[in-house]
Amino acid sequence: MHLSTEFRILAASDVHADAAARKAEGWRYVQMLAVNNEDSVDVVYSYMKDGLLDNAVVEALPRDARLASITDVYLEAFVCENEIHDLFGIPFDGLAIDFLGNFYRLSTESPMTIISPEKLAEQEKQRKLAEKKAKAEAAKTAKAAGEAASATDAKADAAALDAEMEAKLAAMPPEKAAKVRAAMEAKVKKQAEDGRDA
Amino acid sequence: MGSFHLAAMTLKSLFSKPETLQYPAEVKAPYAGQKGHVVNHVEECILCGMCQRTCPCHCIQASKPERAWTIQPFMCVQCGSCVAACPTHCLVMDPAPTAIATAKHEVRQEVPEQEKAAS
Amino acid sequence: MGKASVIPFGPQHPVLPEPLHLDLVVEDETVVDVLPQIGFVHRGLEKLVETRDYNQFIYVAERICGICAMGHSLGYAETVEAFMGVEVPARAEYLRVIWHELSRIHSHLLWLGLAADAFGFESMFMHCWRLRERVLDIFEKTTGGRVILSVVRVGGVNRDIEDSELKAICGVLDGITDEYQQIMDTLLTDMSVKNRTVGVGALTREQALELSMVGPFARASEVAYDVRSFGRGAYGALTDFQPITDAQGDCYARVKVRCEEVLQSIRIIKELSAKIPAGDISVKVKGSPEPGARAANVLEQPRGECYYYAQGNGTKFLERMRMRTPTSQNLAGMVEALKGCDLADVNMVILTIDPCISCTER
Repeated sequence: MHLSTEFRILAASDVHADAAARKAEGWRYVQMLAVNNEDSVDVVYSYMKDGLLDNAVVEALPRDARLASITDVYLEAFVCENEIHDLFGIPFDGLAIDFLGNFYRLSTESPMTIISPEKLAEQEKQRKLAEKKAKAEAAKTAKAAGEAASATDAKADAAALDAEMEAKLAAMPPEKAAKVRAAMEAKVKKQAEDGRDA
Repeated sequence: MGSFHLAAMTLKSLFSKPETLQYPAEVKAPYAGQKGHVVNHVEECILCGMCQRTCPCHCIQASKPERAWTIQPFMCVQCGSCVAACPTHCLVMDPAPTAIATAKHEVRQEVPEQEKAAS
Repeated sequence: MGKASVIPFGPQHPVLPEPLHLDLVVEDETVVDVLPQIGFVHRGLEKLVETRDYNQFIYVAERICGICAMGHSLGYAETVEAFMGVEVPARAEYLRVIWHELSRIHSHLLWLGLAADAFGFESMFMHCWRLRERVLDIFEKTTGGRVILSVVRVGGVNRDIEDSELKAICGVLDGITDEYQQIMDTLLTDMSVKNRTVGVGALTREQALELSMVGPFARASEVAYDVRSFGRGAYGALTDFQPITDAQGDCYARVKVRCEEVLQSIRIIKELSAKIPAGDISVKVKGSPEPGARAANVLEQPRGECYYYAQGNGTKFLERMRMRTPTSQNLAGMVEALKGCDLADVNMVILTIDPCISCTER
């Protein structure tokens, strides 16, 4: 028997039905946990059967969401559900042993949803770093894109210029036109050489 | 039958040397690798601050402008991560436990200027 | 049928130092209902991941519980290694398992002593703790700490054990085995012990499965679930590993399962120290976990399966670290085991379940 771990998404409305179905199939309840995001909470339900540790993730629950309790199916979940209620402020409907927010004696309400100043500072630092990196990256890509663009632009411009020049040249006296043409050819040749060097 | 075993064991311990030490009179010598307390050999310290950054309980301060290295021995948990991180190996874990004190205190060591012989 | 009354049990109770509170609903002398309550020592250690980076948090993880310190640091390290993609050297894995099994021996001996003390068998308590002291001495010699070992790190272990030292450890364990077997014989054949434990707080296999129980508590009810049998890490090198089970599911069965697990752990340590490969003991771990990287992991603690979850957020601090300890899983089973027992047996039932409340609350 080998242990394998899986993560999958579960809709908030299917939590209870999923637990009941698993109970019928003989899955063992492992745990429940909540993860605090910026303005939402993820709840992870874990079950195990034959070495498969399956983690069903209910993603991005809003702060005022309610979940259905699974304690009528798996009584042992009461510890985790009370804990999530106290620490993350997500209430459960139909909790078998409900401590009504007195499971832990807390000085602040739902402490795990408060983002500590240290974390904010770290996030800020990371954001700045990322910005700096992004800027550097952007500058780099802009430069690269600029080069590429200038190459294509040059061609397009040259074509447009050619058309324009042809029109002008048609209106010019022939010997002047020949001179201008020679000068332009030399210019294009030089540009091409420069491009190769670059 | 079972109780007989235990009686024999108890009887044996009646006549053998005690397993315990009579503490203040007899003190167990610490093992060589035991985690007692952190000691800084300041003459080799370059005040790089690696110990300060790696310490999980923020009990070390290495200040370059003041040329001082400070540790709060009663906040230290003897995890040994500073000793492992020290680039000059001037931090060592001394096997003797932190001395008993009546108040929490900090140990401040002045770090002398390094001679830049190597460079 | 007498009138129902409620008797509070704990959080301060002579039978166990853990702050567990029970409201026992009793009719005459029989417990009819139980309401467990914890929450007296919640320390919010999970929140500390925000201020301690993933290398430093290992020292916090260790301090969740004094008895399972090695287990928690190991479980945490394995979980972080899983999503950082770290390959731990084989020697480090063997050393981790050797220390972990030693800590299982010390945990079970501590529990056995306390259980004997609860029976009123105080000379047994002294003998158990005398043997436990030798295990702690091994820890002191090899890791530098008695209880908090600080020896595991993300990517390996901090210290090596010399091969000669491993031989010496096996020698000490041989000495323990001999005396331990005598203690075990005494405990398991003693009439007064049997009177207190046989048939008390029995749970059937169906109940154990129904309540998702873990650890020796479940194995005493014939649920052959042990995380070690997945064979991860150095456990995969064992020639044969069978979870120790018993069919009765009562207090006596739980005592028996734990007693035999000590001998099993000694066998594991001996086998692994004979097979241990030479090589590095740690690898360097660089960088920070990817944002959204997560891993779930289980580990067999002395008290049963412990679940770990870690999630990264791109910084050196983790987004979330979570441990679900075995006692949290077994609380519902404990309630079930207590229903119908005599008031005088309550402490026996609780003790044989061996709850670790400080672990559970973190």
